[in-house]
Amino acid sequence: MKLEAKIQMGLLENLWRKSKTMFALWFAHMTVYRAEIFIWMLSGVVPLIMMSVWIGKASANGGTLENFNAASFAAYFLAAWVSQQLTVAWVAWEMNFQIRQGELSSKLLRPIDPLWEHIFRHFTERFVRGPFILVVVIAGTFIVPGTKLTPDLWHVLEFLLVINLAFLMRFLIQYCIGTLCFWFENATAFDEFLYVLQTFLAGGFAPLEFYPPAIRAVVEWTPFPYMVYYPAKILTGTLSSSETLRVMLITLAWVLAFGVLRSILWRFGIKKYGAVGA
Amino acid sequence: MSRYWQLIKIFYGASIAVQLEYRVNFVVNLIGSLLTAVGSLFGLSILIAGGSSLGGWNQTEAIVIVGVFTLMEGFMGVFLYPNLNKIGEGVRTGSMDFTLLKPLDAQFLISSRDVNILRVADLLIGVGLIVYASLQLASVQAPGVFVAVLLILAGFASIYSIWFMLCTTAFWWVGVENITELFWGFFRAGQFPVTAFPGWGRILFTFVIPVAFITTVPAEALIGRGKLETALGALGVAVLLLIVSRLFWKFALRNYTSASS
Repeated sequence: MKLEAKIQMGLLENLWRKSKTMFALWFAHMTVYRAEIFIWMLSGVVPLIMMSVWIGKASANGGTLENFNAASFAAYFLAAWVSQQLTVAWVAWEMNFQIRQGELSSKLLRPIDPLWEHIFRHFTERFVRGPFILVVVIAGTFIVPGTKLTPDLWHVLEFLLVINLAFLMRFLIQYCIGTLCFWFENATAFDEFLYVLQTFLAGGFAPLEFYPPAIRAVVEWTPFPYMVYYPAKILTGTLSSSETLRVMLITLAWVLAFGVLRSILWRFGIKKYGAVGA
Repeated sequence: MSRYWQLIKIFYGASIAVQLEYRVNFVVNLIGSLLTAVGSLFGLSILIAGGSSLGGWNQTEAIVIVGVFTLMEGFMGVFLYPNLNKIGEGVRTGSMDFTLLKPLDAQFLISSRDVNILRVADLLIGVGLIVYASLQLASVQAPGVFVAVLLILAGFASIYSIWFMLCTTAFWWVGVENITELFWGFFRAGQFPVTAFPGWGRILFTFVIPVAFITTVPAEALIGRGKLETALGALGVAVLLLIVSRLFWKFALRNYTSASS
């Protein structure tokens, strides 16, 4: 083997080793908090509440509401709930804590960008959440008769790809908000704004079909529907493959945009942090 | 009794004095509260599009419920969150010892130490929404308003008791500090009339998690649709929960062994 190729192999191996260590470490950490994770999971119940409100509304209307019946509402909101669960991010809170408590100083000394620690914390948490999510989904499909997520394995694979992109997008948006802690006393308030917008615009409140056309047109230009609405449509098998491709590309574009924004904010923020002498 | 009243004034005064230092927070939180209210009204307009109704409630009537819901959220944010959620910390660090040693009722002390003025906006917005919608409804009459005020107070008592019991579980489950989020999550169902839910939802939000008694029943009384049995039910639930939570607290204290032992 040539020397260059050897070095490259070494780098890859190194990367793999690092990832494995990070995964094992944070997975062990997260399993300790399984009870709390379970409660966080149950508290994100808005899509399920909305599911029953919309089912109630459909049955008051004689069974259907704009192509949706009880079973399709149930499928949509169940998928929306799963999407919301798999894209949850709280990195703004972690950064708020680390910056205000000065914990960030020791993280900066490590030869690895603190971003990766946050990502692995979130990523491993999904594996603790996973079994609980499966139980709810299986129970959910039994509660409302006729509820079906897509039977197509291909759709499931598409969903898994899109949902990971959606998670990265949500994570990076939160990360950008987290960096605001370098300048503001309490950036978690900004996170609350984001939370409210997400609640009403991401799709957990209602399928976008029910939004007034003018508002929907505006919402489509924001990252919000790519967090819950579109992933849910893919998981229920109601999005064409060309649409799915479009959703993937747009989500990827948002990921890149917020990734760049994150690097810029981080670079300036770190200077500010150092200047305080913390 | 007057001694307790005096203490509340001292506690709240000190708490407010500290918070007045951070004025920017106040503005940011005010914007957050307004945004939440706008979001709720926007959500309602989607659900009641084209003059349809939501479980038999029209737009204006449903705004009364959103108002009561926001008021209740404000109550949790202003009075419950800054106090009761510290029980877990007290048990974990052992500082609960000092609370129990004071010559006062410990439940009172735990429940009234702090007040979060940043969330007062929610209280005001809630009242504002109720008043705004009521002025447009001819069915709102003085006796109904009186009963509604009584039922809202009963709602405060119910929420306090549930919240207090959830926080008291910290005596056994020290690690689970976010348990009140569970109630907070399910309570969001209270921004809709309970009749908007299908049968199983109504049962869940009336008897398992009594959200209906806390938001729908007071709103019903206000708009002149109150029924004697539901109003009595709401009062009964409040009294029952107050008693049960008190007993639960006493039971928990008997199991308290402090942090070091």
